[in-house]
Amino acid sequence: MYAQFFGNYLLSRNIVTRDQLIQAMHKKSSTQIRLGTLAIHAGYMTANEVDRVVILQTHQDKRFGEIAISEGYLTEMQVAELLSEQKPDFLLLGQALVEDGIIDNEQLQNLIIDYQSENELEAFEYSAETIDAIDHMVEKFFVLAERSLSQHEVSFFRLLLSNLVRFIGDDFTLVPPSLCKEYPTNYCVSQKVNGAFSVCPYLDMPESTCIDFASRYVGETYTSFDEYVQASVEDFLNLHNGLFTVNMSNDFSIELTLEPPTVEKKDLLTFEEETYLLPIVYPFGTLYFILVLHKTH
Amino acid sequence: MLNGVKILIGDDSILARKQLKDIILQYGTPTFFEASNGQETIDLYKKESPDIVFLDIVMPVKDGNAAIREIIEYDKDAEIVVVSSVGTQSQLKAAIESGAKDFIQKPLKPESIHHIIASRFEGR
Repeated sequence: MYAQFFGNYLLSRNIVTRDQLIQAMHKKSSTQIRLGTLAIHAGYMTANEVDRVVILQTHQDKRFGEIAISEGYLTEMQVAELLSEQKPDFLLLGQALVEDGIIDNEQLQNLIIDYQSENELEAFEYSAETIDAIDHMVEKFFVLAERSLSQHEVSFFRLLLSNLVRFIGDDFTLVPPSLCKEYPTNYCVSQKVNGAFSVCPYLDMPESTCIDFASRYVGETYTSFDEYVQASVEDFLNLHNGLFTVNMSNDFSIELTLEPPTVEKKDLLTFEEETYLLPIVYPFGTLYFILVLHKTH
Repeated sequence: MLNGVKILIGDDSILARKQLKDIILQYGTPTFFEASNGQETIDLYKKESPDIVFLDIVMPVKDGNAAIREIIEYDKDAEIVVVSSVGTQSQLKAAIESGAKDFIQKPLKPESIHHIIASRFEGR
C-alpha cells in the first residue's frame, strides 16, 4: 500500500522537476515495461547487472532474458515469474525517467527501495489475527455475493482496515458483513468514487460515537457534537477514498475521481444495487460502513 | 518569519483548514483567509492578493483544478500549493499543468508544510 503516488514522491524530494515529471508521465503511457526494470524491482538483479546486459544486447542478437540467464543473473524460473507477475504501474514512470536520461538505473534502484520502505513503514503491519479476520471477511463476502471479490474490491477492504488501524486504532472487532437493502441513519456521510472501479461508501454512527471517533482521529478531546466532530467523519472517509485512488493509480494505472463527501439527510436509505453493511465495533461504539458496489467492473 | 504574510486556505473541510492553520502557526502569525469551495477561493484571491494559497481539489461548487486555472489566468505568478488526499497520477498532472507549484499528499505532515513555508518565507 502506498501513502502517495510515486511521481509525487519524486517531485517532493526534488529528484525531478515539474516539466520532467509531466514529460515522463506522457511517455509512460506509450511504453512497455522492461524485464530489467522488473528484475531491479524484484531485487533479482542490481542496476549494474542490468546495465551490463543492456550493453551486451547491443553486440548480440538476443533478448534481455536470454542474456541475463546465460550470464547467470537470472534463472529461467525467475524470468517466467517476472513476466507473469502483476507489475506495479509506478515502475513504468521510473523507467520513462531512465529512458529520458533524468536518472540512471542505479538511482532508480535506490529510489524504489527508499519509496517502498517509506511506504511500508507507514502501512499497517497486519497481525496474524487480523489477517485471519480479513480472510474470513473476504470469505463471508464471497458467500453473500455468490462470487469472488475482484482484486480492486479486496484492495478497498484491506486499505479500509489499514486506515482504521492507522488513524483510529487497532482495538476493533469485525462483525461479519451482511447484505443491505435499507438502513436507518444516525449521523451518516457518503462519498462517490467514480471511474473504472466505482463504489459508494457510507460511514454512519450515532452522534455520541462521532465524538469519540473524532477525538481519536484528530488527537484532541472533543466533548460535544460540534462542527469539527462532524467534519472529522467526512474527513476520514475522504482521506480513505483519496488514498484508495492513489493506490489504484500507482498499482493498476486506474484513474478514479471523487465527488465531495455529503451528509445524508434521509432517515432511511434504500439500496437497489449490491450493497453490504459492515459494522466495525470499537470500545467507544460501532462504526457502520455501507458499501454500494456498482457493476461497472 | 510569517509576520505580514497573507495565506489563503481553500478547503471544504473546516477541520482540514484548522489543522493546516495549527501547523502554520508554529512558524509565525500570518493573516489567514479561508474559503470552503473553489469559487470562494478565487474571489478571495482577487480581493486579498495572498502570498500563498493552500488548495484542496475535491470541493463543491467549483473544484480545485478549476480554481487553479482561474487564479493563474488572473495572476500567472500565483503561489498555489495543492493539499489533497487524491494524489493520483492524473490529478497530479492536472494540478501541475494548470500551474500549481507543489502537491502535498494528505494526511498532512508538519514537515511537508515546513518545507513549503521555509523555502518561500525564510529570511523574511
